[in-house]
Amino acid sequence: MVNTVLFLIPLLPLLGFLILGLGYRTIPSKWTSFIGPGTIFLSFILSLLVFFNFHHFAISPFRHLSPWIHVGSLDIPFAFLIDPLSALMLLVVTGVGFIIHVYSVGYMKDDPGFNRFFAYMNLFVFSMLLLVLGANYPIMFIGWEGVGLCSYLLIGFWFKNHEYNNAAKKAFIMNRIGDLGFLLGMFLIFTTFNSLSFNQVFSQAKSMTMGDPTIMAITLLLFIGAVGKSAQIPLYTWLPDAMAGPTPVSALIHAATMVTAGVYMIARSNILYVLAPATMTIIGITGLATALFAASIAIFQNDIKKVLAYSTISQLGYMFVGLSVGAFTGAMFHLATHAFFKALLFLGAGSVIHALGGEQDIRNMGGLRKKLPKTYWTFLIATLAIAGIPPLSGFFSKDEILLHLFGHSPVMWNIAVAGAMMTAFYMFRLLYLTFFRNFRGTEDKLHHIHESPPVMAIPLIMLALLAAFGGLLNIPGLFGGGDWLSGFLSPVFADAAAVTALPATISHATEYLLMGVTLAGCLIMIWLAYHRYVKKEMGLLPDDASHSFPVKLIRKKYYIDELYDLIISKPILLISRFFHDVVELRFIDRMVNGVGNMVVWTGSTLRYIQTGNVGFYMFIMILGIILILFLNILI
Amino acid sequence: MTTIISLTILGVLTLFLGIMKKQSWLLPVILLGLVVSMVLTLRDWNTFSSYYNGMIIVDNVSVAFSMALIFSAFLIFSLAAHYYRGVLRPLDDIYGVMIFALLGAVMMTSYGNLIMLFLGIETLSIALYVLAGSHKEAVTSNEATLKYFLLGSFLSGFLLFGIALIYGSSGSFDLGRISAFVTSCAGIYPPMFLAGLFLLIIGLAFKIAVVPFHFWAPDVYEGTPTLLTAFMATVVKTAAIIAMYRFFTHTFHGIHGVWDTTIWVMAALTILLGNLTGLYQPNLKRMLAYSSISHSGYMLLAVVAFSAMSDNALLLYTLSYSIATILAFAILILIREAHGNDYFSSLNGLAKTNPSIAFCLTIAMLSLAGIPPLAGFMAKYYLFTTALEQGLLWLVIVAIAGSAISVAYYFKPIMAMYLKESNGIKLMVETPYKVSIFFMALLVVLIGILPFLVIGLL
Repeated sequence: MVNTVLFLIPLLPLLGFLILGLGYRTIPSKWTSFIGPGTIFLSFILSLLVFFNFHHFAISPFRHLSPWIHVGSLDIPFAFLIDPLSALMLLVVTGVGFIIHVYSVGYMKDDPGFNRFFAYMNLFVFSMLLLVLGANYPIMFIGWEGVGLCSYLLIGFWFKNHEYNNAAKKAFIMNRIGDLGFLLGMFLIFTTFNSLSFNQVFSQAKSMTMGDPTIMAITLLLFIGAVGKSAQIPLYTWLPDAMAGPTPVSALIHAATMVTAGVYMIARSNILYVLAPATMTIIGITGLATALFAASIAIFQNDIKKVLAYSTISQLGYMFVGLSVGAFTGAMFHLATHAFFKALLFLGAGSVIHALGGEQDIRNMGGLRKKLPKTYWTFLIATLAIAGIPPLSGFFSKDEILLHLFGHSPVMWNIAVAGAMMTAFYMFRLLYLTFFRNFRGTEDKLHHIHESPPVMAIPLIMLALLAAFGGLLNIPGLFGGGDWLSGFLSPVFADAAAVTALPATISHATEYLLMGVTLAGCLIMIWLAYHRYVKKEMGLLPDDASHSFPVKLIRKKYYIDELYDLIISKPILLISRFFHDVVELRFIDRMVNGVGNMVVWTGSTLRYIQTGNVGFYMFIMILGIILILFLNILI
Repeated sequence: MTTIISLTILGVLTLFLGIMKKQSWLLPVILLGLVVSMVLTLRDWNTFSSYYNGMIIVDNVSVAFSMALIFSAFLIFSLAAHYYRGVLRPLDDIYGVMIFALLGAVMMTSYGNLIMLFLGIETLSIALYVLAGSHKEAVTSNEATLKYFLLGSFLSGFLLFGIALIYGSSGSFDLGRISAFVTSCAGIYPPMFLAGLFLLIIGLAFKIAVVPFHFWAPDVYEGTPTLLTAFMATVVKTAAIIAMYRFFTHTFHGIHGVWDTTIWVMAALTILLGNLTGLYQPNLKRMLAYSSISHSGYMLLAVVAFSAMSDNALLLYTLSYSIATILAFAILILIREAHGNDYFSSLNGLAKTNPSIAFCLTIAMLSLAGIPPLAGFMAKYYLFTTALEQGLLWLVIVAIAGSAISVAYYFKPIMAMYLKESNGIKLMVETPYKVSIFFMALLVVLIGILPFLVIGLL
């Protein structure tokens, strides 16, 4: 019974995918509106069931469903792992997934690819659930690849636009680079531990020494996978381009769930990572650099979705920083709250875009506060949450990471706070330019502005509630809370906690001080943004305006795309052209065709032996007989 | 033994029905008789007996291959009603001679004496000379029978000479005594005996159509009436290969170092030449002739690679080869009827006009080429594995290269059927004929998926 429930959670979205995918030409969109979100809703109910009966699963978290690959010493069962970590992820994926599915019913209403869209979305949720539930690396990898595929399909959902296709390809290829790291990591895990199941690998790893080079190699390789999937430096450039997909896709895949898979994977492998302090340092530097770097780019972006994309990259950076200092709970907490408020931001942005008939440039918006009140209020809540204003969810989760960071290294804390301040600035810049001042679009557009229908507005409100109160999951002791999430997740991270040295305890006074400083910084930034973009009405410069060099550098996203093009794409294309024109066409093709031509030529020549003349046949046969007798008997 | 008796009775009965002018009874009686004969054969399973002072030996190998032969004949007879439907003259002679040929073939699976072997071969061959020329009005048929007879009798002389030389040196026709003689020689064999041995190889190689004794095959296959070509390509070839297999792996196994290089070279040459020449054939029938030559080469692998597994491998191979070949010939018959020729262009667009027939021919071609999951793939797989276990790496490489080449010509009809524009002629097929075709196609798939139905028998 328990296994059946567990099995059904990913199976239902798969079923939805099969129904919608196979019948996408015939199924009326009315049915799709129920099948698409309905399967996810059922999964969500089952996830809740699992969550509230968790004590049943806690006894034996490993659920063997069926044998799968069994070759020699390699034994990979089809098994699910249901522990606090995956239970939390289940809720986030199915919960947020369901809300976004409902929203999509309204957002995609008039799209000719309505059924196809929901088929892909259901397939995505299925893959994501597989990723989360897998009890060994290969099953996780199936999900990992599955979400990558769906991401590709959905970024290029409007495949008639060539640029969108390019964006989809870019995302896929960037992810493949990371996936290679993941694969190599798996191979190394297998050769080291002779198993790929989480329980066997982790229990063996426990007894290994701190700083073991093999573990370091494994963790680094897996981290490369995470870098690709979670858009960290240097593999982040696909995520901004991925905004080509429909906005609900950006919300679900490129903000709330898929991109956090890397964080989940590292949290899952926590014991390996705490044994590799060098890797942890690399993760910390990467995460911090990404957080700051992406935030700086976000300040100068004018596309509403691009700003949010860079913001996502930046927030993922925070999660990785949290992981790198052993704040696994903090990272997972931030993952959950980020899923709420970032999904809300994207859906709000979608609502704005929907209202403006496809307009995405914030310079052409403004004054939407009165026109779109529901969107405005929910967007405001999300913005406050991401900016870290108490008592909204983002404040608590970000604070937990920052606190751990301070205990680890005050320098890193300083940089992270700078990033948080930048976050507050660019988010309020976005808010002010979109919803404040006067409308800057055409008259024609002004008349068409309309608030989104309830099917879109209700998901916004649901997410707003989550974004506002999500912090309740883990109220720190400081505010009289019980650190519920930490307690819930502690069994997962128990091994890691046993290995790591206890961080220096920080007194409550220091904690208050740190919080105060962060908060003050963010508030100053909000005021600054207000001053610049509302009072002084700045920020509307056209693309071709001249700027000082540093600003131009950031506006052009540090020329990273151009740099990659120059140092990676161009040389690879050059080498490929060489291999195609010279090696392939001149040598391999000629060799292969030569063999074929030789065979054909031999055949065409040999057939003339068959003259039809009996005398000739006899002659050859006698020759054969003589040869056989001569060679065998006389010699 | 009961097999031989029952087939003899069936043959006589067929001729008797002809005298009684009961033409319409012929095929039902023959098909029923073949089934009875199969049942009687099956009763000999696991009996291991010998008759007439070791003239005939019945063991599981002979039973299994007799069954395969009779089953192939049964499939061919199931096509006969359609093939001869326009023929007005009595057919009891053709059918009777076919059954006697089958009788000869069965004798070749269960001989215990060289005299029996020669009797079997001659019963088979003389019947075939007649069958090849059974379409009296056609010049091609006359040419086929003449060529076959000239070359066949010529090579029969060598075979008989070989038997005589072996008798001369060992003093017996009995396989057991010859085997004992081989052991008693202790490594030093009289040249006369060796000459006899190789002449025997040459005689049998001619029947199987092995290079360089294959020349008759394309010409005779092309001229012979198509139904009887199918008989030649399957029943006759299976009988000859099993005769050779039994002789060399049982009686002469003790001296395999003496003869296996010769067979090795002949197998390699046959595979290469058969497949290479097959590439350039303009029509389906001639292509199938070369295909059948190259398959002789593969079957020789089993003779060189004699081991515990090779009995099974050879049985699976002959069975899957026979069924796929009869299936191909059955469709060839339809095409020749509809178009008057069997150039590949006659197959154009068959997938549009007769999709099910086109699909069955595709299955036959793919199986002969050895594409999984069809019977031909499994057969090749087991045969090559057996050969590899015996250390015949290079021969297997040649065989695989040959298979790769063969794909090129096996795909010709498939490409014509599926990629070319149709010429609008629809094949007319009656239901019983169609059932036979589907049954064979099903068998090819089934054996491919469940090869252990055959592979565990021996």
